[in-house]
Amino acid sequence: MTATASAPGTAARPRRRRHRILLPLGLAALLLVTTLVTHAVDQPDPDGGFLSPVSDGPDGGSRLAEALRARGVTVQRETDTQRAVAATRSGPVTLFVPAPDLLHPRTVPALRALPDRTRLVLVDPPRRVLLSAGLSVAPAERRWAARAVRPEARGLPCPLPELAGVGQVAVGLQRWALTAERWGDADFCFADHLVRLGSTRDTVLAGGSDPFRNARIDEWDNRAFATALLGGTGRVVWLDLDGPAPAPTYPARPPRGDGPADRPAPPGDDQPGDGPPGDGYGDGYGDGNGPGGRPGDGQPGDGSGDGDGSGRDDGSADGGDPPNPLWNAFPGWFWALLLQLLLAALLAAVWRARRLGPPSVEPLPVSVPAAETVLGRAHLYQRAGARDTAARTLRAATLTRLLPRLNLPADAHRNEVVVAVAARTGDGPQRTDDLLYGPPPESDQRLLELARSLDRTARTVAPHPGGPFPPSDAAHPHRP
Amino acid sequence: MTWRAAALLLAGGVTLPLWPSPFAGLLVMAGAVLLLAALDRALAVPPGALTAVREGDRAVRLGDSATVALLLHNPTGRTLRARVRDAWVPSAGARPDVPPSRLVRIEPGGTVSLTTRLTPLRRGDRPATTLTVRSVGPLGLAFRQRSGRPATPPWTLRVLPRFDSRRHLPEKLSRLRVIDGTQVTRGRGQGTEFDALREYVVGDDVRSIDWRASARRADVLVRTWRPERDRRLVCVLDTGRTSAVRVGDEPRLDTAIDAALLLTALAARAGDRVDLLAADTAVRASVTSRQLQLGASAAAPRPGAGAGRPGLLARLAHALAPLQPSLVETDFDLIAAELLRRRQHRSLVVLFTALEAGALGEGLLPVLPRLAARHTVVVAASHDPVLAALTTATPEHPRDAYAAAAAWRALAERDRVRAALARHGVTVVDAPAGHLAPAVADTYLRLKSQGRL
Repeated sequence: MTATASAPGTAARPRRRRHRILLPLGLAALLLVTTLVTHAVDQPDPDGGFLSPVSDGPDGGSRLAEALRARGVTVQRETDTQRAVAATRSGPVTLFVPAPDLLHPRTVPALRALPDRTRLVLVDPPRRVLLSAGLSVAPAERRWAARAVRPEARGLPCPLPELAGVGQVAVGLQRWALTAERWGDADFCFADHLVRLGSTRDTVLAGGSDPFRNARIDEWDNRAFATALLGGTGRVVWLDLDGPAPAPTYPARPPRGDGPADRPAPPGDDQPGDGPPGDGYGDGYGDGNGPGGRPGDGQPGDGSGDGDGSGRDDGSADGGDPPNPLWNAFPGWFWALLLQLLLAALLAAVWRARRLGPPSVEPLPVSVPAAETVLGRAHLYQRAGARDTAARTLRAATLTRLLPRLNLPADAHRNEVVVAVAARTGDGPQRTDDLLYGPPPESDQRLLELARSLDRTARTVAPHPGGPFPPSDAAHPHRP
Repeated sequence: MTWRAAALLLAGGVTLPLWPSPFAGLLVMAGAVLLLAALDRALAVPPGALTAVREGDRAVRLGDSATVALLLHNPTGRTLRARVRDAWVPSAGARPDVPPSRLVRIEPGGTVSLTTRLTPLRRGDRPATTLTVRSVGPLGLAFRQRSGRPATPPWTLRVLPRFDSRRHLPEKLSRLRVIDGTQVTRGRGQGTEFDALREYVVGDDVRSIDWRASARRADVLVRTWRPERDRRLVCVLDTGRTSAVRVGDEPRLDTAIDAALLLTALAARAGDRVDLLAADTAVRASVTSRQLQLGASAAAPRPGAGAGRPGLLARLAHALAPLQPSLVETDFDLIAAELLRRRQHRSLVVLFTALEAGALGEGLLPVLPRLAARHTVVVAASHDPVLAALTTATPEHPRDAYAAAAAWRALAERDRVRAALARHGVTVVDAPAGHLAPAVADTYLRLKSQGRL
């Protein structure tokens, strides 16, 4: 019967509906995954020979090193941050850091203390490196992939003399912006993708690593750009880190944990002649996390947790994040209770999510409102202002009702009808003639008056209109 | 999972400050609750093991209530505790005696009858849709529920037309008896047929003596006459777009069904055969009384003797119940062809449709000559009282004047259709919605009394 016939129909419909939802979602997910994978493949892997002077892979820097040597520039490869910093001490030199991501947080402040006439080139450094290196520059908007840009920035030509004559360079990945103070001594090039800070001891931030890589060094003016940027001093110290740099080791490490006032020895302390060591950068984030254990590995039940932070090795992970003081504002059971409440809510959601059977559906019957066409036509008359048609119809209908009552034939003459009607209603012949055969009304109000007069006349002459087809018409009582 | 599992976890959360290690306590408690829930779920009766059957009413008249029981049998060795939802289509007006929020308990091997009271809102077939059983474990922490387990026992309740015009039936029957008596006393003539020969008694009309039969026997025999019987009557219902229009407070098709039922009841009592055809672009329903005639011939009832044609009215009501209007133009060619093919004999064709110039002028009028040549055709149409109200009310607003003009125009069009039909010798019955059934019955009686069937 119908029940069995509808069963496969109702089973097929949810499947179709599921397809309707899953198909676009799946397509969108596929597109997203493809894009992300392509992007990940396209982006250089920051470790494993990335921009190393001895690596000749597509992400390596061997061709750049050769180009530099061809210009007579000495390339000195260093794999340790401290040794690289130390190597800058002998005369004017360019310190090239192609992967600032890999620098250990505690060694970054050492970059502040480079001697004069040293150029520091950082390729796409993260914000934390900029902060702890004391550079008042922050990353601005970042593109999805590197783009070739012209050397002009903000409508001005590039102020770096060694880059004069360089055309488009594929450095357009990351823009830089100054933090408000110290506006003066910064030069922007390549649509803000390259910035030079400082005067004697300058620091250059490049927005992308593409111009230095083997794979792309021959595109655009990348080779000229890279060699000009690095070869200015005649000697390049190339910091080639193979992975995240280990924590710097100091000959004698003082005990810590009493707050920023008693900071540890700065990384440059074991190298003599390294400028003033205590010039105020020791209270950076790398050193300030002594008090208050981090929530991730601390025991939440231990109350305030201060004092035991000094015993832990806070150099194991990236100790750059400060602990959230909110963790210690409440006891541990509070967080556990919150989690349990969440779990209970989850259980309740699972309980409510299962409905007791699907909603019942059924097709609705077709239904057309009563007198729809008639009312629709009336509305059309009104919208179109069809007063003449309406008046003509009303007059003809009234005549059809009146003539049989007046014992007149259907084709009776106008004068005959007017006289007969005027005699019944008592109105003058002129008025009756106007009413029955007059001109069409000029306004809706006149039409209404006409309709009322016709109705009154019909009621007077034919008192029981009862409609054109009264029900008694159809039911002829049969008398044998 | 049920709310109890969540509540248990919530209650356990209160003890958290007392634990030496709150996070360990959280893990232990969550694990325990999950374990208990899993255990509870495993102990619940699997819904797939249950069996369900239905019993109860198959048909109900619109406006009445029916009862359908669901027999749920638990063949497992465990006590079933379950919430049961027996869903019907919304227009079935189902009210379960045991609401889904209440827990049903069935002992091992036991059976429980869950009754549902149905008060349908619409004519037609009202099926049961889905049976859902949510079997809860003994602890009430978790449940088992699977769609399609147990399988929903199919059941369809047929909702028959209301047949409001039943109240006119006694009056029409008494008038039928008057016609019968008149025809019998009038003797030979139109509308009567030969009944039997009997012996002459003093007072009989000498003109009705059958001399040839008297010659064969020693007695003088006279012929007796009875009203014609076994005339053929065909009700044709137009289920096309015009039948979907609401006339009064129901679709025109329902008015037509009501009138067709009254006509059938009357004709069955009068001893006539009634066939039925419902069609728009295809034949939607067709009932012929031929098989019935064969079956009932042994006990052929006398006209007006009370019994009528047993079962015909019920069969017709069953055939008419699922009819629904569809928004298509009716194919009168198809109807005419069907009528001419199946009814070789002259019959009275009552066509229930609407007097609409577009539908009838292009569809019916071209085939009408063929139809009227063999059959007597009656067109029965109901019109809306709203139309008459529009024409007779005193206009209060300019839009009333426009509405009156539009209504007059519609009436004039209907008049033209009537005239065109009358030219083909068709009897037109045009009545307001509530009066169609008695008007059609009166027309039938008039034709019968005139012997024009």
